[in-house]
Amino acid sequence: MNINATLLGQTLAFVIFVAICWKYVWPPIIAIMEEREKRIADGLEAAKKADDSLEEAQLAFDQEMNKAKAEAAEILEKANSRASQIVNDATAKAETEAEKILSSASKTIENDVNKAKEELRQKMSELIIDTSEKILGDEISPEKHQELLKKAASEL
Amino acid sequence: MASASGEQTSAEYIQHHLTNLVCGKTPSGWTCDHNAADQMGFLAFHVDSLGWSIFLGLVFVGLFRLSIPKLSTEAPSGIQNFVEMCIEFVNDNVQSIFTSAKNNLIGPMALTVLVWVFLMNLMDLVPVDYLPTLAGQVAEATGMVENSKDAYFKVVPTTDPNITLGMALAVFVLIIFYSIKIKGLKGFLAELTLHPFGKWMMPVNLVLEGVNLIAKPISLGLRLFGNLYAGEMIFILIALMLTFSSISIGLLGVGLHLIWALFHILILALQAFIFMVLTIVYLAMAHETEDH
Repeated sequence: MNINATLLGQTLAFVIFVAICWKYVWPPIIAIMEEREKRIADGLEAAKKADDSLEEAQLAFDQEMNKAKAEAAEILEKANSRASQIVNDATAKAETEAEKILSSASKTIENDVNKAKEELRQKMSELIIDTSEKILGDEISPEKHQELLKKAASEL
Repeated sequence: MASASGEQTSAEYIQHHLTNLVCGKTPSGWTCDHNAADQMGFLAFHVDSLGWSIFLGLVFVGLFRLSIPKLSTEAPSGIQNFVEMCIEFVNDNVQSIFTSAKNNLIGPMALTVLVWVFLMNLMDLVPVDYLPTLAGQVAEATGMVENSKDAYFKVVPTTDPNITLGMALAVFVLIIFYSIKIKGLKGFLAELTLHPFGKWMMPVNLVLEGVNLIAKPISLGLRLFGNLYAGEMIFILIALMLTFSSISIGLLGVGLHLIWALFHILILALQAFIFMVLTIVYLAMAHETEDH
């Protein structure tokens, strides 16, 4: 159990082994561990980012979807109103057209009636005059004739 | 102490186990003859302690570096896992103690201390007679000694105070080196002389702080030595029970050996850990600059 040069020998060995560990053992392993730590941290961060962006995309998708739905509803509504407007317009147009046709038809009918009446009157006056002429046997002067015709026409 | 023939007494058995194989300088030159050990001065080496110590140091380097030719970032396996676990453990300890200062020597040193001291302590679990008997047989067969009983071979390096104090000395030198490097020579001397009583009590302060400073390596080395020496001694005493020609005592000895070995596993690891932590703490204190 004497203290002797073994002590210094061990000190030297200690220094050498610590130096070996310091230079060759510790750094590569620590470097590898740090690299792995960094990789894992990066991976987790990337996963978190992907998660976030997924959420964002989902949000954007929902927004777009809602917008599209609203737009579709709007378009549908517009189309509906437009269709009903077209129908209304068409109905109104048809009604006016019908009215127009009706009025023009009744006008024509009236005209025809009037014309027929006029013609009838004319014919009748002529007939009457002719008849009267024949009955009277007397020639009526053209002036008188005209006058009589007018008179008869206005009376009829 | 070494009888050339016949039975060993218990005292001789114990003595034999506690004696180192020593080579040193005598007045008549260098020799490894045990009978000349008394004439050796300071210039003598415990070849067995030192040899095992260096061998186990190489085992440490081999295990922690050479056994992993290709370090993997992706999926470490086997030894690399173990090595990384050790390094992470040491690094956590260093970082929890070294909070302000940074020194990239401390980690590797703490790792070396932990693993190396643990390996040296671990030799304590090899049954006490195996390696000395083997060494004795080898020495007798090669003609180095006439009788294998004359060959001394102490296996556990940390039961040799030279080994533990040798490491403590290195730590002590580092403590002084970093104290002066961080605080300057003036700061270091001020720390030694101006505390705890102020500058008018300088001699008293110097004595107190000097004792404080010297106590660090001494306690560091002697704690490890004492624990392992005592443990080894108990192993030797238990082994001694097996030399009696009584079956019941022998069986008791086997049982006791098992129990003590199991318990000792704890001590081995604990003492290695304590040595490491104290090394870190002392060096952390050397790095502290604020006044206290």
